[in-house]
Amino acid sequence: MLFKLAFRNIFRQRRRSLLTGLSMTGGFVLCTFSFSITQGSYGNAIEFFTLDHTGHIQIHWEDYEQRPKIYKTIADRDAVESILEKSDEVKAYAPRVFAPALAYAGNQTSPVSVIGIDAELEPTTSRIKQKVRSGEYFNEALTRNGFAKAMIGAGVANRLNIGLGDEIVLISQGADGSIANDIFEVVALVGTKDSYDRSSVYLPLVAAQEFISVGDQVHEYAMLVDHANSSEVIAASLQLQLDGVTPGATVSPWQVVEEAFYKSMQADLQGNYFAMAIIVFLVCIGVLNTVLMSVLERTKEFGVLRAIGSRPAQVFKLIFVETMLMATLSIALGYLLLIPLLTFLTQVGFVLPEPMEMGGVPFLHLKGGVNALVLTAPALIIYAFAALVTILPGIRAVSITPKTAMSSH
Amino acid sequence: MRFWLVVLVFLTSLSLQHSFAEALSDEAHQIIEEMEKLYRGDASRATITMTVVTPRNERRLRMSAESLGQEYALYRILAPKKEEGIATLKREKEMWNYFPKINKVIKVPPSMMMGSWMGSDVTNDDLLRETELVDAYDLSLETTEDQYRITLVPKEDTVTVWGRIDYMVDRHAMLPVEQVFFDERGRKIRRMEFSDVKEFEGKRLPSILKVIPLNKEGHETVVEYEQLDFDATDVTKDLFTRRNLTSRF
Repeated sequence: MLFKLAFRNIFRQRRRSLLTGLSMTGGFVLCTFSFSITQGSYGNAIEFFTLDHTGHIQIHWEDYEQRPKIYKTIADRDAVESILEKSDEVKAYAPRVFAPALAYAGNQTSPVSVIGIDAELEPTTSRIKQKVRSGEYFNEALTRNGFAKAMIGAGVANRLNIGLGDEIVLISQGADGSIANDIFEVVALVGTKDSYDRSSVYLPLVAAQEFISVGDQVHEYAMLVDHANSSEVIAASLQLQLDGVTPGATVSPWQVVEEAFYKSMQADLQGNYFAMAIIVFLVCIGVLNTVLMSVLERTKEFGVLRAIGSRPAQVFKLIFVETMLMATLSIALGYLLLIPLLTFLTQVGFVLPEPMEMGGVPFLHLKGGVNALVLTAPALIIYAFAALVTILPGIRAVSITPKTAMSSH
Repeated sequence: MRFWLVVLVFLTSLSLQHSFAEALSDEAHQIIEEMEKLYRGDASRATITMTVVTPRNERRLRMSAESLGQEYALYRILAPKKEEGIATLKREKEMWNYFPKINKVIKVPPSMMMGSWMGSDVTNDDLLRETELVDAYDLSLETTEDQYRITLVPKEDTVTVWGRIDYMVDRHAMLPVEQVFFDERGRKIRRMEFSDVKEFEGKRLPSILKVIPLNKEGHETVVEYEQLDFDATDVTKDLFTRRNLTSRF
């Protein structure tokens, strides 16, 4: 009965209902849109570097993360790996070693960073295999010329003027103080001149370990987990387990590893929240305005309802149901409109006139993101506000006497 | 008259003092020169073991060293296998390192003189001995019962590596005991100790040199002379060439 009445009321004054509805739809779409942009721009950036090289969680020895020294290595690899294997959360992990080095080829020299990666495990954790531009992804086997294989970043290839099949000479300092020096053969070019690894030289793990004399120890374990959002919690639990077996190993979630990025993201989010609050506020004012108008315009009508015997609570309920019904219809329409919009936003995104850089990660497109929060929060905000907004005119409609109501214009 | 007498006495005493100081400095000069010549000889050939100790590990290098006067020297690592063949050539005022694995000769630039030689606490400058101590430093001598203590302070207008060096010499054996190196702010940077006097071809010499950097806790480098031959007649000038640096031996 109440719903029927509410429906009839809505469709009786089509033009007014359409206006009210559209303003709510507009508010809802705007709200979802800005939520999506905020979530998306960071979501993409985070996904970019966690999958590119950082992983969701990393393990180092003591303070290697802040003060990398070649001798700060994880010695008890078995202990670490057995914990990682056992964990249900850890999807994949990969050991790595790092060293700065000087690269020679012909008369050219260039400072490079040497990264030793497990040829089998690394592709499960990072996108290294997809980043191979030319040549073949390497393995531990020696080349036909008897050299260990190397994959080099575009910047290194450029500066040293070398390509596939060329020799690259690396000089560095070993963990024991000896001079590390060896020749490697380039079997693949990795990334572009703008990518994170433009000045990296990838070596197979064992070759790299031999090169810098660290035995079979490593500097880092990077891993991916099933739920990236709970990296911090998983890291804490791994830390607890590791403390028991090999104290000194330090577990850091990506929020710690990419601290510069994370901090600027947090600061930016704070700013965004403010902007979002303003948007939400404007939307709400719009809703308030339309609801208020539609109720006040019908004061006479409510007077009649009261006069023919409706109880105040019934009138109030009617107004409430009407508004909520209105909101539901508007939001439904909003979702319809959002389908193409969000698809565009997440798949294509706006091209930024100038690439923006944050913590070393370049943003070329402003993209949206879609998750439960983006899809539900704006709808809930609209609902809550619509409900809130009905209180005032509702009370007025209820408390006014039928006589004054009917005589009002 | 009386006035002139006073002046005379004053001047005499002044010149006496002066010559006294000069004599002391001369003696210091002589001692230092003698010490510096000890390990060098005219043409020498040595086998040396160098042990580099850090808080984390210990690395032992065996190497051969040939030198001719102060101008020429050639060091070559004999063991371990991993570093075998790495060599350093010093010729006049230049220095090169050779890495056989990558077949590359790399010149050691002047800016790297204070850099470590092959990861040890011995600097390139120690090997090169570019600076002649008696030329670059003012010397002052203090004699105790069994030691000469010579303080070396850089002469004005000379560019030196150290701010001051204290050089302790055993008076009776006339052998070096200890050297302490200070930076320009007077902080002790490292100590070099000489010990285990042995006879090499009729010449008595400390066979162990210990270099202890004082700003790096737990680090030290021990250089031990296994063999030392002072008249290696086959060590001639044409040994110290770039070609020889890179040749396998």
